[in-house]
Amino acid sequence: MSTNIRWGYAFNQWKQGWQGFARVEDHIRAFKGTSAAGFRQIELTAFPGPWDPVGRPESIAINFGSVKKFATQLPDWGIDRISSWFLDVGQLSFEDLHFGLLPTQRAQHAAILKQATLHAEALAEMGGECLVVAPFPHFYREGALDAERMQAAADCWNAVGRVTKSLGVHTVLHLDALSALRTTQELDQLLTLTDASCVNLAFDTAELTIAGHDVVALYRRYHSRVRHFHFKDALETDTLGEYKLPHAERAMILAGGARKVQRWFGELGTGKVDFPALLAAMNELGYNGLAIVESDKGPAPVMSSVLLNSWYLQRVLKVLPLAA
Amino acid sequence: MTDSAPNLRWAYMDHWRVDSPQGYVSQYSSLERIDSFLKQVASLGFEAIETFDFHMGSFIDLFGSLPNARAYMQERGIDRVLSLFFGLMFDDRQSQPHLRSTHDNIVRHAEYIVKSAAGLGVENLIVMPAAQYHAVEPVSDDKLKACAEVWSRVGKMTLDYGIRTVCHHEFYCGIHHLDELRKFYGYADPRYVFWYCDTAQHTIAGVDPVKLYMELHDRCGGFHLKDTHHVDLIGDYRQRPESEVTAKTTNRWFWEMGTPEGLVDFPNLFKAMKEHGYKGWVSVEHDKADFGGNYPESTAVAAWYIQNVLKKIYR
Repeated sequence: MSTNIRWGYAFNQWKQGWQGFARVEDHIRAFKGTSAAGFRQIELTAFPGPWDPVGRPESIAINFGSVKKFATQLPDWGIDRISSWFLDVGQLSFEDLHFGLLPTQRAQHAAILKQATLHAEALAEMGGECLVVAPFPHFYREGALDAERMQAAADCWNAVGRVTKSLGVHTVLHLDALSALRTTQELDQLLTLTDASCVNLAFDTAELTIAGHDVVALYRRYHSRVRHFHFKDALETDTLGEYKLPHAERAMILAGGARKVQRWFGELGTGKVDFPALLAAMNELGYNGLAIVESDKGPAPVMSSVLLNSWYLQRVLKVLPLAA
Repeated sequence: MTDSAPNLRWAYMDHWRVDSPQGYVSQYSSLERIDSFLKQVASLGFEAIETFDFHMGSFIDLFGSLPNARAYMQERGIDRVLSLFFGLMFDDRQSQPHLRSTHDNIVRHAEYIVKSAAGLGVENLIVMPAAQYHAVEPVSDDKLKACAEVWSRVGKMTLDYGIRTVCHHEFYCGIHHLDELRKFYGYADPRYVFWYCDTAQHTIAGVDPVKLYMELHDRCGGFHLKDTHHVDLIGDYRQRPESEVTAKTTNRWFWEMGTPEGLVDFPNLFKAMKEHGYKGWVSVEHDKADFGGNYPESTAVAAWYIQNVLKKIYR
């Protein structure tokens, strides 16, 4: 079975704080450095407000002339294309006039569709292939899912998926460690309710491991629906069920929970994810999609993390050519 | 460009420090930190590092021996410590190249270093061939001859250990003006004394490194490629106590290749290297890149410049 893994790097970790990493030249340096490390495709992260030159389509137009011009400039910095865009509609948006939208609430679907369409249109112009979305709110906000809210969310992402498909962009659902979706039974249900022709999965190796899943086994089970990976390692797992804590993003992830975990996410090969086994499964099952390496909430400088991940992919997994 | 073996191999001159729970420390302070450092440098295509002689103690401490240290590096993609920078303590009482009374001591010290380095794969002993300018001036022909004499002795000795002596001229070094450089290399024995072209240092000193390379290409033993945004127009080379860190012109002299404000003409240098058929190691150096930046990012940006600009000219 032929495998076609398209490696890229996510730019989420570069943006630290509202007003950091706000200048175009900062981004150009990051593009160049990431390219030198062997990654020629970039995943953007949607970011509201005027402080991120590539946070929204309007920001790209202001800073680079237009989305198209931005895309054509990328090769000058050693980047072939923007592969994907991560959009968390649960985050506030000044431009879209909300403090976070809930896919489980049908009244909010129109706003979600509008925001997703805006990003997917720009992504299509840049040659990207995946709009990566968080399908559910965090558990502490949503509570356990029931059939009605599961159906509502599935309807929401089916609607988004149909629109993005018409633009040539795939919608992929990214499950994180704090998501309201917790079990494989719920995941089975979600996949039954969503349209496989336009809505599939983004597997985040660290987030799923922290949530208690065996990523390799999970991938083998759902491989036909996986179109996107986030490759990062997990240094700890949520053994205390702290995803239920109020404001778990702060209380568990940033503050470390009751165990005062200093760092949840790590560079490839430093934690609990069995990447050689996962890669073997991907090759065996003929994975055809994106594998976006991600640095997430690690110590500065970000470039250290990028280079360490590159080294692992070059010399351990041997999926990137040796830099020369 | 052809698929044949490249003429150039790339090394990295190390000034790194890393943030840690113990503060801002040397990457040679723990196995985890040196592991991380080596992997980062190797990930960008550098095949060797250069460092200071005083780090050899840490290597022995961490690995038990220098051959063990080299094997550890090789497992991570770094073949060798290409060069050691000679940490000479310039002082009239013991080590002052322009004072002949200290020459025996300098030669003894240099021999101790190169003898101690066995097992690391060292090919170059990098020296600043004269003390800071204020300690040497007035720079006379006789002082330049004295410097040439001692480094010729050192160079002859180091070759017995398979190591070349290469001279690296900081902009505040007692030998940095063009006439001083020309006289020094005229006096020094070309069999034993080689020139290390530090592109930023010469530029700061008002000397065009490309023209200097055209003059001294047959003496060139390697490069430290780094850039600068400033030329010393106000005599900062005389600034006490140390011109690199207390100068009035700027608090950051050195930049990685590829910044828009950079003054060094690297493409022209590579055209000249191609014209003269330079073959061998080329090193990238980042000195004090953590003044408003950080070493990993500077190194990655420089690697981008190598991959996307320089290798298209000569590789």
